[in-house]
Amino acid sequence: MLIKASSTPQGRMLSLFDILDDWLNAPQINAKIAQQDLLTKTEGGPLLVAYLTEQGRACGASHPIMLAEHLVLIARSAAQQTINQPNSGSLGHAKKAAHALILAQTPATKSIVNMLNTPKVYGIAASLAIVISVVSIVLPAMHHSQTTHINIVQISPPRLTTNILRSSTGITSDDAAKIYAKYEQMRNGTCQFPEALQIPEKDKAIYLEDVVGGKLPSDVGDLAIAKFYLEKVHCNYTPMLMDHSK
Amino acid sequence: MSPLREKILSTASHLFQTQGINSTGVDTIVAAAGTTKMTLYKYFRSKENLILEVLEQGHQDFQTWLSDKLISKHPSEKLQQLFDFIEEWVTSPNFQGMGFIKASAEFPSETSAVHQLSSEQSRQFKQYISSLASKADIEDADGLALQLSLLFEGAVQAEQMIRGSGAMTYAKKAAKILINGASRH
Repeated sequence: MLIKASSTPQGRMLSLFDILDDWLNAPQINAKIAQQDLLTKTEGGPLLVAYLTEQGRACGASHPIMLAEHLVLIARSAAQQTINQPNSGSLGHAKKAAHALILAQTPATKSIVNMLNTPKVYGIAASLAIVISVVSIVLPAMHHSQTTHINIVQISPPRLTTNILRSSTGITSDDAAKIYAKYEQMRNGTCQFPEALQIPEKDKAIYLEDVVGGKLPSDVGDLAIAKFYLEKVHCNYTPMLMDHSK
Repeated sequence: MSPLREKILSTASHLFQTQGINSTGVDTIVAAAGTTKMTLYKYFRSKENLILEVLEQGHQDFQTWLSDKLISKHPSEKLQQLFDFIEEWVTSPNFQGMGFIKASAEFPSETSAVHQLSSEQSRQFKQYISSLASKADIEDADGLALQLSLLFEGAVQAEQMIRGSGAMTYAKKAAKILINGASRH
């Protein structure tokens, strides 16, 4: 479930909280049994820590094992609180805390540069290209796989280029906090957003979901793109009464 | 408080934190404190009562220490510096863990008086952060308090498992991100 939940390692780590929330809200699950499991069952713990460690490494965390263990502790504690107080929203808040923790361990510029400088990434990319090419040659009838190939080739390079350019402007965890604060502030104003039609196709989804929709991206590249377009949003915070009295 | 009672309390506190609450027997406490079982039961009636007093004392000490540190600060500074001081406390050589976090893990049953007290102390700590957040003009003070307490308790647990893990350093950075995000601009 975690693997399918998102296309980015950060997203996969954070989806743990959504999955737990769904699971604990499922009517067929007896809360008391769930509580017993959370507190006494430890077989799944090391596996989860190992999986989260792998995701932490993939997103360039400074201490992936520590991050993974901390995330599991937060998730366990929040799940327990959700069982005791179903309407506390603990898992939602835990997700926010986890997101901040991931950002604290993965300075944007560092993680991007690390990822791009790692030969492993090129190795994986090359392996992927070879696999896709072999599939498209050996199985020409599988039109779908050819389409996938084209999509990957078209989308990946511009996204990487964008990340390099934007990360060189120095995105940090503070920027993430500022973006988050800006979203909160924008709720109190009347804002004019750039027309979606003017946004390049490759950035449109991020623009609509993260800037217009007000969702803080968990991916560093998306964060840089969101920051870029957020600066083009103009908001008026004049109280309505004062505005009308002019 | 009689010196002997105080001695039993501090010995029990040290043993609970270093060896675990359930795995520390009354015999061990008595031997380490240099007293008898009869004296221990005279002052505390049962091991459960002793655990409850140790928890009360530990929580009070922590709250007093933290309040003293933050006494002269501006509300928004208090919130910003809360994790700095918690980090200082957690990384001090005398740190042996957080009573209510350990007790909650060792006594998972909701009917246990120890579990109930540790839950109450956790709630009080959350309430304390919420009051700081509220004074610092944070709109969703309770939400932020919940996020910060989850971060804090997780980091303390990580530090209890591996001394010098550095978990609190990252929790502190994450806390600053959350506080800045929640602050009104």
